[in-house]
Amino acid sequence: MSFATLAALTIHDVKNRLAAMAARAEARGDSETLRDALTAAGDLSRLLACYKVDAGLLQPDIDTRCPVDLVDELVAETRPLTRLEIAGDCGLAPPAWYYDESLIRMVLANALHNALRFARTRITVSARQTDDWLEFRIADDGPGYPADMLANPTAAAPISDDGVGIGLHLARHVAALHENHGIRGVITLENEPGAVFSLKLPR
Amino acid sequence: MASVNTYDNKKFLIVDDLPEMRSSLRTQLASLGYSNVAISSNVRTALDHLEQGSFDVILCDYYLGGGTDGQQVLEHVRNRKLISRSTLFIMITAEKGYASVVTAAECQPDDYLLKPFTADTLQARLTRLLDKKTRLAKVDAMQEKERWPEVVAACDEIIASGDRYQPDAMRIRGNALIACGRIDEAMAFYNQVLGIRAMPWARFGLARAQYAQGDADNCKATLTQLILEAPQLLSAYDLLGRVHVDTGQADEALKILDQACTIAPDSLSRHRAIAKVAEEMSDFTRVESALARVVKKTHNSPLRDTADIARLGNAYSEMGEPAKAIELIDDARKNFKSDANDPQLAAVEALAQHKAGKPELAAAALARALTSEPGTLPKDVAMSIARACLATGRQAEGEAMLKSVVQNNPDSAAVHEQVAAALNVHGSPERAATLIQECREEVVALNNEAVRRGRAGELGEAATMLTEAAERLPGNAQIVSNAAFALLLDIYSNGPDASKLRDALRFQETVTALNPRHPKLTDIADLQRRIRAKYGQTS
Repeated sequence: MSFATLAALTIHDVKNRLAAMAARAEARGDSETLRDALTAAGDLSRLLACYKVDAGLLQPDIDTRCPVDLVDELVAETRPLTRLEIAGDCGLAPPAWYYDESLIRMVLANALHNALRFARTRITVSARQTDDWLEFRIADDGPGYPADMLANPTAAAPISDDGVGIGLHLARHVAALHENHGIRGVITLENEPGAVFSLKLPR
Repeated sequence: MASVNTYDNKKFLIVDDLPEMRSSLRTQLASLGYSNVAISSNVRTALDHLEQGSFDVILCDYYLGGGTDGQQVLEHVRNRKLISRSTLFIMITAEKGYASVVTAAECQPDDYLLKPFTADTLQARLTRLLDKKTRLAKVDAMQEKERWPEVVAACDEIIASGDRYQPDAMRIRGNALIACGRIDEAMAFYNQVLGIRAMPWARFGLARAQYAQGDADNCKATLTQLILEAPQLLSAYDLLGRVHVDTGQADEALKILDQACTIAPDSLSRHRAIAKVAEEMSDFTRVESALARVVKKTHNSPLRDTADIARLGNAYSEMGEPAKAIELIDDARKNFKSDANDPQLAAVEALAQHKAGKPELAAAALARALTSEPGTLPKDVAMSIARACLATGRQAEGEAMLKSVVQNNPDSAAVHEQVAAALNVHGSPERAATLIQECREEVVALNNEAVRRGRAGELGEAATMLTEAAERLPGNAQIVSNAAFALLLDIYSNGPDASKLRDALRFQETVTALNPRHPKLTDIADLQRRIRAKYGQTS
């Protein structure tokens, strides 16, 4: 058995245990443990996705999806995990768009978990359509991204000790997998003045 | 935490091999107010539950242990109609990557739920999916009854409303157009969708429409492109394999099916598809290697299928190892009561016993195989029995069986070839040609006799005669369409008759399913209009 197969099986097994742990924590109202279990499971998913990217195995399963549902779910999932205010804004969202639900969810959940660490009071998750693009935004009211991250947006992000780089590297790759007629999805980072993570997907 | 839900009376079935996951799912459901929950730790008890009653929601884990997975269960329960379209099937998995690899366009769960998830997420997902089922209830009911034109109409309604279920309605609409033979419309529809976005389901739909139109070259090109764009869509490989077989490129077919098998080595339907193609090529070593895996995987599992055993046994016989076939079939009949009198299994056994040099045992097995009415048997079963008859010298019975196969598939060159091949082995090539000719003549004679009686004013007799023939030869569009027409003519002349009308409509549906462009269908529709004009809308 190759290391990759072994790792994949182990990740699967650990995720099952995390799921059981999350369920127990949820049942007794322990939101801190619940958050840790969900975050850890998310980390494992991204690790596996990174492996697939490197091995050329990550295949998007693009279908017609509902961005409003995705935003609602992310907001509902995150609220019990934090004291911060989590707001959803889908006023300008299209009824349907084309993307791989589980990959986009993974990217947005990761951005949201990062925002949880830096926001002061509030995070806004939004979806809106501008012309032929759907834009998901995760905006917080924290100190914003460090200058070096913004200065060189297209360079491969350095992988920091807290693993932020893995998420961004993967997010860019997932965005680029969403291609239609040669136009690909993009990730942009901005400070307004809090950090704004934006994922744009072509029609 | 739990919000009030409007679906708390729904019946749930949880299928998961891990005790901890079962109980945590149950706790989550309870916290949401769902109390009507059945639990299964394995496929067998899950199927028992499904046979005993219907469920609104099935929450099935992808990994079920013991070589079974949720996708196999889903295909099994959908294929055997153990669940209706109104049942929500949700696949729970720790990793979408594994599960999505076995994407079959025709058999997908309603949704995937990635572990871990919170009760709130589960609730949001359930509400949304149950809302969707409610919105699509009419479409689903019509699909269940295979009333395709009504499915199209119901989908059009949803598409026109522009609500959030539009994409779902569009997928179903395309399928329904193909199912009711409106191929040109289906083609235009899929091309229109593809113009907006290269959606794999639309490209697959286009390929199916091209296949239905007999456009093998374009169908191949479409599928090849689709496999590049969406290599995880296994149905594309299946259809491409089929087209290659139809165009006489069985080698290419096996290559493409092998490719699909590499992507989804656990998919039972892939191995069965390979066996089917290999069988048509008489490559029994391949049949054996594919089916031996299926039989081994499903041994003692409720997903086992007697036909797999029969076909594997036949492959052993053909490979010159009848003893292996006999052992396999003995084992099946000993362990499974329902296999004791299975006609196909008995036919395969007869052939094996014959090859093993045991004529008495062969005759006994064949007697068991011959207990069913030929017209009611599926083609593959009838062919197995016919081959066994011919091999053991029961020429007349074998030929009668082959006749029924030919007359039920009057226009299928592929079936006629199979019949000819069977007679080549145990008869003569000339006999094959005369047999097929006799089949045609019998049908013509029957039709002529019916027409003669009709002209003589014996409309009732003509209708009865054709109805009997249509029941015997449900695959013969000429006979079945004439039966529908004769029944309607009888009604038109002699007054409405509920039972005759029912038969006529049933035959009309059968013909439409066989060949939606059958010329007689226009006459049948005309006659229905005249009946309505004469006796009123209610008839």
